[in-house]
Amino acid sequence: MTDTHDELLDDVALYALGTLAAADAQRVRDHLQTCDTCRAEYEALVPVVAALGTSQEASADASSGSVVASPLIKARIMREVRKKKHVSSNGHRRHLVWPAYAVAAACFALATASVLYNIALNDRLHQAEIRLAHQSVVNERDDSMLSDLANVKAQRVSVPGGEVVRSNGHLYLAMHDMPAAPDGKVYQAWTLPKGAKKMVPSATFVPDNRGVALVPVSNDAVNTVAVAVSIEPPGGSKQPTSAPVFVAHLE
Amino acid sequence: MDLDAEHLMMRVRARDANALETLYDAHHRLVYGVAMRMLGEVSAAEDVTQGVFLKVWSSPELFRGGNFPAWIVRMTRNRCLDALRSRNAHPQTELPETLPEDTAIEDVAFANLDARAVRSALQALPAEQREPIELGFFGGITHEEIARKSNVPLGTIKTRIRMGLKKLRTALEGAVSA
Repeated sequence: MTDTHDELLDDVALYALGTLAAADAQRVRDHLQTCDTCRAEYEALVPVVAALGTSQEASADASSGSVVASPLIKARIMREVRKKKHVSSNGHRRHLVWPAYAVAAACFALATASVLYNIALNDRLHQAEIRLAHQSVVNERDDSMLSDLANVKAQRVSVPGGEVVRSNGHLYLAMHDMPAAPDGKVYQAWTLPKGAKKMVPSATFVPDNRGVALVPVSNDAVNTVAVAVSIEPPGGSKQPTSAPVFVAHLE
Repeated sequence: MDLDAEHLMMRVRARDANALETLYDAHHRLVYGVAMRMLGEVSAAEDVTQGVFLKVWSSPELFRGGNFPAWIVRMTRNRCLDALRSRNAHPQTELPETLPEDTAIEDVAFANLDARAVRSALQALPAEQREPIELGFFGGITHEEIARKSNVPLGTIKTRIRMGLKKLRTALEGAVSA
């Protein structure tokens, strides 16, 4: 920093541009409190500096050659915002959020325990009635899936927004925090069998409004070495048409 | 005043997520473009873009009115400087201080300028003025570092930056009134 006023005006320009180190910036700030001329110069230059950013505004059109932001950014932001809003609307209390599949598995376990308890306490319940009631809650396929997901011996591979679960020979995607798919698109799972060079198409899916999805991916977990997810048109694709959202390599 | 942004920010303060979505649609290209220029990596630029808009949502009171694009560019640049610091690529080099985010930029004359007009005004500057200005803003380095890199005396760099910014203002005023 220097003494003459002209040189101080130079420093004001540097301060507006944001190229001063902390100590120099503080001295300019102090000076701006007392000098109308420098403050007017600063106020004239700040919008100019801000407009510099506009020169980098990316085009909405990828064909123009500029880099276009991924639509997943918006999906992630809005999911986070709506989640925060939901927490806030519940009296600003931060709740422990369990993944929905864990809640579902816990409910299943609780329901099963409750049923067994009732059998022991009340032999007037007919076995067929119990089975019927049980079937009204979860069908056999869901039983098997929830039991696989709740299996403590399952292999779990973390992926962004969830995990890949290998359990009892089955492979699942258990997503608990996945952004919504872009408008008009769905997610599609892919598997890579041992020795294969190409991914094999698996299920398409969309997460629910909490970002939750439970997706059976393969019944041949033993011979699957990787699972991937990409964004595809509704109905899915025979080969991936977009870069993978993630790839999970299984041991 | 940038009435659209002012109104939308009022709705954001009232926890209206749709208002944030509208702001994102209108301004994310600006935020992402600055972040890409400063950081040069898609994943880092995406992180900054996400962080900026979540900050708009979590701390809308930081916006004190005025030029919304200017405010959000300032927030973006500050987060990019933080990212550059965390990379710690040049620990021996002091990075510039971040700019205040809770100060209104009242002059909204340039709020609606498009990228082409600003690029054109920048290109019209002599290279000796344009280059240190761009390096200072997007490179995230101090004017002392700029002087070292360009092998130009410190005082000369300072004067070139100031003269360049003043010329840029005149050119942008011309673009606004045209």
